[in-house]
Parts: sequence; C-alpha cells; structure tokens
Amino acid sequence: MEASEIQEQVVKILTPYVKDQQALAKVSLETNILEDLKVNSARLVDVVLAFEDAFDIEIADDDVDEVNTVGDCVRLISEKV
Amino acid sequence: MASGLDAGGRAASPQLAEHEALLRQLRISRALAPLWIPLFTAVMAWGMRWRIVGAAELRQQYARLRSESDAPVLVCANHLTMFDSFAIGWALGGMGTYLRHFAWLPWNTPEEVNFASTWWKRALVYLLKCVPVKRGDDRAEVARVLDKVALLLGLGESVLIFPEGGRSRSGRVDEEAAAYGVGRLVNHVPGCRVFCVYLRGRRQETWGGSPRRGEIFDVRGSTLEPKTDHKGLRGSVEVSRQIVRRLADMERSHFDDRQ
Repeated sequence: MEASEIQEQVVKILTPYVKDQQALAKVSLETNILEDLKVNSARLVDVVLAFEDAFDIEIADDDVDEVNTVGDCVRLISEKV
Repeated sequence: MASGLDAGGRAASPQLAEHEALLRQLRISRALAPLWIPLFTAVMAWGMRWRIVGAAELRQQYARLRSESDAPVLVCANHLTMFDSFAIGWALGGMGTYLRHFAWLPWNTPEEVNFASTWWKRALVYLLKCVPVKRGDDRAEVARVLDKVALLLGLGESVLIFPEGGRSRSGRVDEEAAAYGVGRLVNHVPGCRVFCVYLRGRRQETWGGSPRRGEIFDVRGSTLEPKTDHKGLRGSVEVSRQIVRRLADMERSHFDDRQ
C-alpha cells in the first residue's frame, strides 16, 4: 500500500475527531494531531483503534507513545501492513 | 545490585536518573512521614472536620488485600475534587497503619499545573508521594509517567489513579472517559491487582475544588480482576473500560443506598 493512500485513509479516520476543521485543509505529514488539529488527547486512543480496524493491524501500547503527527501515523501503519 | 550511576556519580541514562530521583523522593518522604502523616490527618479530622462513613470497612478490605500478597495494588477511584486523594488516602488507612506500612499509603498523580505555581506547593507534592503529570502532553511524556508508576508498583508501593483522567465534569462517573493508561499499567505490571474506591461527599453535587468543611463522605471499595482476550492497545482500553464500568456500578449502588 502506498504511503499516500495510507495518509488519505489516516486523514479520513481523523476527520470526525478534529475540532479545528479548517486545519484539515492544509494537513501534511508534519501536522501535529493534538496541537494543530486539536484532537482531544483522550480520543487519540480511539483514533489508533480505528487504524487497527481499517488496516487490519495490531498496535502495541508503546507504539502509541510515538504518535504525534500525521506522518507518525503513516509510518506506524506502513510498518505493519 | 548495580546502582545505575556512572563513574562520576551521574545516572547512566535519563530513565535511570528519573528512577534514582523517584527512589530518593520515596526515601525522603518515608523519613519525614512521622511528621507529615499526623499533620495531614489532623488537618482533615479537626481542621476540615471531614468524616468518612464506611472507612472502617474499607480499611479492612484494603488491609486484607495488602496483607494477603506482595503483588502490586493499583487503587482506582472516581474523581470529583482536587482533594480526593487526601480523603481516599485517609479512608484507606489510619495514621498508625501508614507509619507501620508506609508502602500502603498510595502514591498519587496530580495534574502539575494545579500544584506547580509556588515552591511550597511543589515541596508538598514532593513530600506527599506524588508523581505530577501534564495532562494532554505529548505521548512520550505520558509514557514516562506510566514508567515511573510501574516502577513504584513493582516496589510494592500502592498507587492511586483516577481512570477517568480528570475530575468528572458531569459529577457522575463518565464511562466514555476511560483513560487507557490505567489498563496499560494493569497489563504491564505482573500480578497487578485493582482496588476500586468510590468516594463522594454528601454535599458534593458536581465536580469542584475542595470539599467543604464538615463534609461527610461515603466510601466503598471493591476488588476487581480485569480480564481481556485482546493484546496491545485494545487490551489496555478494554481493561480501563472494565475499571470505569465498575466505578459506575459502585456509584449506582451509592445512590440506591442513599434513597
């Protein structure tokens, strides 16, 4: 699966959790999920669980610690699909 | 046993340095316990005139749990005021108990912003078995706090956690607000046992800062063995949800009994 496809899916999954919808228009791999998109930190876990379902992968607790940006998500998923 | 220090007396890694600092905090807190435990007990009993209904039964449950095994104990409680940890600590054991069994007095993870404003608050937090946390901080920082808490549990220290991740804004246990870190701790610390505590002041309608002077609290406890067939993050989330669900059940029983 191409990284661009994964990124597209990641943004789609993130969308319902994003408080600053305007920030979605200029989303990039460097976009910080909590700070730029204003996703509630408690909801980040739901986002990662949605990645598990969408890509049929299993994500370890420790992996979540590395997730800060959209690029981190793409990298994490790319390693597991 | 290796000390984790290099030839210059410095810790060999940031993680080891943090562990060394935590162990130093534990030693200082324990050494000064004969001073601060009676002081804070007096403040709650006579200064604030708090009374806790159900404390005797809770203390029996907790003492039994702590005595029957050396396995770690994670105390998980509902959260309504900034001083819940004080009242819960007092409800779980008396002054004499904690002076004999200092490890039974739970560590707490207060939000740093609430206690970092003055030097004396920072000193208090240091003394009172606290590991401050920054809520909503980056994931690596959260992992560092969980690592410290896991170390304490492994040492046989009890730790108090609020699995909702903060004071309940609705005034009721929020089953949707289960912070996955609690489940992560339970799954990662071998043999970790969970003791759920529900505490509520009779005049506490919703969340707030400090319980009122003369407040009467009701308290109840329940041991829980969370189980999950899932691994990784999903397993941690499931365990956290089981714990919060138990607290919600205890809340329902509390209000049923009060009617």
